[in-house]
Amino acid sequence: MGKLSRSDILEAFFWLLIAVIFFAVSFSFNQPIEIYKFGATGWPRVILFLMALVALGNFYHAYSKGSKAQEGRVGAKENDEPIEYTSTSQYFKTGMVLILPLLYALSLKPVGFYSGTPIFIALIMIAWGERRFRFILTNTILIYAILIGLFMLVLNAPLPQGNMSPFYDISAFMLKTKTQLDQMF
Amino acid sequence: MIENFLAGTATLFGDPFTIGIFVFGVLGGMLFGAIPGVSMLTLAAILLPFTADLSPAQGVMLFAVIYCTGTYGGAITAILFNIPGAPENAPTAFDGYPMTQKGMAGKAVGAAVLCSAIGGVASALVMMSATEPLAQWAIMNIGPPEIFALVFFGLAVASSVGGRTIWKGWLSVLLGLLIATIGQDPVGGINRFNFGYSDLAAGIAFVPAILGFFAVSEIFIQAEKNVSGKYSAPKFNVDFPSFFELWAHKIAVVRSIFVGFFCGILPGIGATLAAFMGYGEAVRWSKNKSEFGTGKLEGVISSETANNAATGAAMIPLLALGLPGGALTAMMVAVFQMHDLEPGPLVFYNSPELIWIVFAAMFYANLSILFVGLIETKTILYLLKIPFQFLAPMILMLASIGAYISRGLVLDVIVMFIAGIIGFLLRRSGYSIPGIVLGLILGKIGEQNFAQGMQMVHYDLGTYFSRPICTILIVAGVLTLLKSLHSAFFQKPKVT
Repeated sequence: MGKLSRSDILEAFFWLLIAVIFFAVSFSFNQPIEIYKFGATGWPRVILFLMALVALGNFYHAYSKGSKAQEGRVGAKENDEPIEYTSTSQYFKTGMVLILPLLYALSLKPVGFYSGTPIFIALIMIAWGERRFRFILTNTILIYAILIGLFMLVLNAPLPQGNMSPFYDISAFMLKTKTQLDQMF
Repeated sequence: MIENFLAGTATLFGDPFTIGIFVFGVLGGMLFGAIPGVSMLTLAAILLPFTADLSPAQGVMLFAVIYCTGTYGGAITAILFNIPGAPENAPTAFDGYPMTQKGMAGKAVGAAVLCSAIGGVASALVMMSATEPLAQWAIMNIGPPEIFALVFFGLAVASSVGGRTIWKGWLSVLLGLLIATIGQDPVGGINRFNFGYSDLAAGIAFVPAILGFFAVSEIFIQAEKNVSGKYSAPKFNVDFPSFFELWAHKIAVVRSIFVGFFCGILPGIGATLAAFMGYGEAVRWSKNKSEFGTGKLEGVISSETANNAATGAAMIPLLALGLPGGALTAMMVAVFQMHDLEPGPLVFYNSPELIWIVFAAMFYANLSILFVGLIETKTILYLLKIPFQFLAPMILMLASIGAYISRGLVLDVIVMFIAGIIGFLLRRSGYSIPGIVLGLILGKIGEQNFAQGMQMVHYDLGTYFSRPICTILIVAGVLTLLKSLHSAFFQKPKVT
């Protein structure tokens, strides 16, 4: 196995899988372009071929020299000591931090910005390990107020309103209040 | 030229409303550039509809000022939080953030202030004196083959310096290039890799991708450190660099001005490649190459001088040829179009007052970086005192809004968080995030110009290489790749 680690094998598999999947999908748009000899697939297929080639080079490098950083690589130092997980709760906590924002993004269409944001802010603070209720509450309100003040009131930026009741009604109420404030001043 | 500049200055400062717009642009650009998660592009995207109510000169001037000060402002977050405000600030983080970790944030930010101002002012002066002759030279000498060759060279440099190994540097750039192929192909308009999503037909937008790979992945990295108990707050200080410290890097400054201006003048390239090449050249010429990436002041100086030196140069193809050099200059084209104007050579004859207000405003905006920047910086350094439990959700929310606002698509927010997760995993494994982003930004430009170049030379590589600039750049790129390949096979791994 040389100096290979499990992550080296996974990395090689990941890159080759991407190359294979994208190469297979490229047949779905493999149409000739009258004015261009290489067509729509020429450029991406060259990239995929190079990706597969370099992935094999990366694998060989890891096999023969291990995963240590090469001399002269810029910004490589911070990655030299990857964080080791010692318990399942650490995996769970990091997983929560990674998944929560994605769930928030997926909820934006039905729930909207105005209703979903305070819940997300509070949850992300909890996921970060914060347990003081008063800290979470005051900071959630503070961040929400800053965002609403800057983007809704000052910059008038259009934000997702949601399409599900009662979230849509809350957004409508916020926007109606904003219009009334505009008329007052 | 001096009369035109003075006339532009008089128009700029002769009207209180125009002064107000200028000041707003200076402060807004710096502030949005310096707030982690949003950028000058966010501000520009929000302001774009409002420019319809301004005169064309005021609208273009506002965007030009935001471009100058926002390019500087993005360095602050790159240095303090490892989150570049814009892709052109990415190389600044290479050394700026390690300096913050060492308690030298003040020195890094101080150098960024001074070098951004120097690079920007020098670029503005050259822009004013040389726009017309340079535009004529570019028209005669720079075509799609040269632009493709420059993109190739830039990517070769980026892949050769970033990532834990040369292979990872290349894979990072290739991933960026692959992401750039999502959406319509630039020649036939055929949909590629959209996996059935019609929103993906327009491709992956830069702003959410950049926010995801840089801002969101950095939050995840810090969160992981927090979970494992390895998180330590950045050290706080306001110890600016001395005159002698900066004077020692005068050659790096001059070199970066040239590199920045050369890259900025080429249409479609912008300040991003300038920053990477400015940094890459600093590494190439240094006697202590291994010190780069560990908190070397010269790294910050080279990157920040080059990206601001590119701002003035980027206006040349925009104003002379109507070709934008980056995302913000592309928005300036929209400002022109909202007022039924087309940027191009005719603007010099039809609206000379517009040109000289913009030139004068860019000159003063770069000067103001020096004065306003120093005051603002001392305030912004206090951001380091804010607990990250507060900053993290704030940055994530600002990034979400920034990603959504540019196109009004929830898909962009989803893309941003997916990019954040991918960026987090790749960074843990030693891949280069700036490499991915540079590949993403230059991929489409590279493909488009390769296709146009090939059509121009009727697929004859001999004709392609008969163009001297093109040949020099491609040979330089190949040599860079061969050199890094040599070191990949024959160099011993770093002892840590």
